Amino acid sequence: MSGAAIYPAHPENILKGLGKLWTSLGQEESHQGKPTVMRACAMTLIVATDEPDCGFYASQTISELMREHPSRGIVLAIDKAAENSLEARVLAQCWKPFGKAQQICCEQIEILSSPDHWPNVGPTLVGLTVADLPVIFWCRHKGALKTSATEQQSEGLEVILDLSSKVIIDTGGEDTASSFALISRLRREGRVLADLEWARLTFWREPFAQIFDNSARTNHLSDFHTIEIFHTDERVTPLAAYAAGWFASVSKANITVSSTKGFGPGLHAIRMVSEGETITFERTGTECARFSSSTGRQRSYSYAEPSLFSLLHQELSILGEDRAFNAAFARAGEFVR
Amino acid sequence: MSVAVFPPTEENVLQDPLRFERRVPPCAIVIFGASGDLSKRKLLPSLYRLFFERRISTEFAVIGSSRTPMSDDQFRERMRESVSKFLEDAPFDESVWKSFAQCLFYVPGDLSKPESYDDIRQKLDEVEKSHQTAGNVLFYLSTQPSYYAEAIKALGEHGLTEGNGWRRVIIEKPFGHDLESARKLNIEIHKVLDESAVYRIDHYLGKETVQNILAFRFGNGIFEPLWNRRYISFIQITAAESIGVEGRGGYYQEAGALRDMIQNHLSQVMATVAMEPPSVFDADNVRDERAKLLRSVRVMKPEDVPKYAVAGQYGPAKVGGEDLPGFRQEPSVSPDAQTDTYAAVTFFIDNWRWAGVPIYIRSGKRMPKRVTDIAIQFHAPPLGLFTQQTKTGLREARPNLLVLRIQPEEGISLRFLSKSPGSGMRVRPVSMDFNYGSSFGERSPTAYETLLLDAMNGDPTLYTRQDMVEASWQIVQPILDVWAHTKFDFPNYPAGSWGPKASDEMLARQGHVWRIP
Repeated sequence: MSGAAIYPAHPENILKGLGKLWTSLGQEESHQGKPTVMRACAMTLIVATDEPDCGFYASQTISELMREHPSRGIVLAIDKAAENSLEARVLAQCWKPFGKAQQICCEQIEILSSPDHWPNVGPTLVGLTVADLPVIFWCRHKGALKTSATEQQSEGLEVILDLSSKVIIDTGGEDTASSFALISRLRREGRVLADLEWARLTFWREPFAQIFDNSARTNHLSDFHTIEIFHTDERVTPLAAYAAGWFASVSKANITVSSTKGFGPGLHAIRMVSEGETITFERTGTECARFSSSTGRQRSYSYAEPSLFSLLHQELSILGEDRAFNAAFARAGEFVR
Repeated sequence: MSVAVFPPTEENVLQDPLRFERRVPPCAIVIFGASGDLSKRKLLPSLYRLFFERRISTEFAVIGSSRTPMSDDQFRERMRESVSKFLEDAPFDESVWKSFAQCLFYVPGDLSKPESYDDIRQKLDEVEKSHQTAGNVLFYLSTQPSYYAEAIKALGEHGLTEGNGWRRVIIEKPFGHDLESARKLNIEIHKVLDESAVYRIDHYLGKETVQNILAFRFGNGIFEPLWNRRYISFIQITAAESIGVEGRGGYYQEAGALRDMIQNHLSQVMATVAMEPPSVFDADNVRDERAKLLRSVRVMKPEDVPKYAVAGQYGPAKVGGEDLPGFRQEPSVSPDAQTDTYAAVTFFIDNWRWAGVPIYIRSGKRMPKRVTDIAIQFHAPPLGLFTQQTKTGLREARPNLLVLRIQPEEGISLRFLSKSPGSGMRVRPVSMDFNYGSSFGERSPTAYETLLLDAMNGDPTLYTRQDMVEASWQIVQPILDVWAHTKFDFPNYPAGSWGPKASDEMLARQGHVWRIP
């Protein structure tokens, strides 16, 4: 990481700061007269957070993402203790591929705002997005997303939402009913929305899709009359509701969602039952899962709790509408109790 | 000849192509030559990796076969050692291996004995039931090339090329040792298999960056208008290896660089770089264009061979304090071997796009470094406004160069001139660089992973078709014929150098020089 002077958060100042940063990086890194820094950018990635770490965790995550999704990262942290109303610093996230002389760098802007200046952030961000490239907004500002959000918080959020071509939220660990209400509202407003909780379900969905690729099975999805989803939480989580919603969007089976003791957090197992066969995909340990059929076939998988990095990587790879998510969400509400 | 008919299949509504990996149907893979090096180093590690990444169907089995007597468990143990040793850039997971190992079987057998094929058929019937492989079978001939025709004939005779599902055969190179033998082999293969079931593997075409040439050329609108004789001065394709023959002296003595690299890998790379855009991106259209290009390559007359082709052989040298043997000093190599460990050829493509543009291809062993790349040299601007200060004085600015790097640093760079900061108009070349590994942080699949997946999916786009093989033999055959009757004064380049002087002279005659990759 290279950086970082602090500027008043005016776009002109920040952009000048970025210019200086690139010049100094080029000078520092020039080697035998050859430029050894390459600037990479494929999108603007805005993260807004009200976490008490002043955006440290968000910053770290987007710097990890830079290799797969080089971007101009803008971390907007809201901090009650911020001394100045709105200030920014610029830095570069650089890495050197193994055995190579040239560094690849992405630029990052960190803006610290006191809560009362949060609505004023909009004009700054408008001037900072990279032209002609998508603007992705990863919202970690839980306060602004809640129905209890203050007018100030909502106002600040709206400005960023309007700038964004895609909005990423994470309903993991949140109340399912209010999370789904939020998603419905944002979708009604025409936002392209992604939920990292849906991305967590990919690990569970893919093996089922794979076995129905077998032409002997593809035509027999409708034979499976019951689908049971087991989760380890007391109440139906968004993840379990998404799983049920996904199956409901593609099958007419009777779908149940129930709580069980097992390996968690999240889903423990999914079972599909027909007259002739029962297919189960379940966690069998903290780091393993097993796919089995009552016909005797089984297969083990390594399991790792998906990292925030891997979930965001998934979402940042999809820039348009996600039809499977939309279809699953349309049915998921039926399973929220 | 078999044509499988499947009942109409509904769309799998559970699929989500935005997030899931590419779909692979259930199948069994039969590897002939399963105890060989290719299986241990490439095939099984690739299959395990695909299994680990959940890209292979749960309904899957591998049946290894070779002359070595082994039980299923002994085969699994051997493969476990190989996979854990040769797995590239990926973790080895014990629990996943256990599941994978349950899909591995072994049938000892000799390709020349009919009972071996009966044993294979019996095992295939077993796994079709136990592993629900839907009767789909991919045969992989990883054996001595002299067995190919015999093995395919026997597969047909034993009814192994027909069944409940599809049947495909992957054949490793070399496809013949000259044009005539390639034609004969194709005739023998087609007595049993339709061309659509034959997958001739050329692992170069499976490399991500070779595939990226197609994306680069046909996915971007800005390069294709420049991709012709009006803007391109010449093309250089280099495939250099720093190693020698590494214990394969006996084989290599009979093959040589022209047969081993240029006839297959590099002529296919040339076809990829120079082919016309296909009207549709599918296997037939892409391969039609590649074949058409190869058929457009001018076939040399015998008297032209000394002018447009250079053979070389490395001699002993001291490199980095180490004494390197010459080719003739390598084990199993004759002390007066006439083998080309280096070959450079100037090809011309007789079509409207490329008329008059030389395409230089070189490949050699014991070069200064391991590198494969394609350099496309554009013409200088029509009027040279800028000169450059160099060590030897002023000279006209160098024109644009586009380099497509295949290995080891996969990527693309474009050299162009830029004004040096400061007063006065001084220009210097700068490079705009795209690095595959760093722009896409994800691990790239190995060539064998890509090609095995393609074969399981029935996508032969990256495999070589009969007419492509014959066309590529056609263009090197006159050179082979002339060289076969030439007594070379070998060795003519020291190990650790960029090849013989004659190669530089070949380019100098066209007013060009080899670039140093």
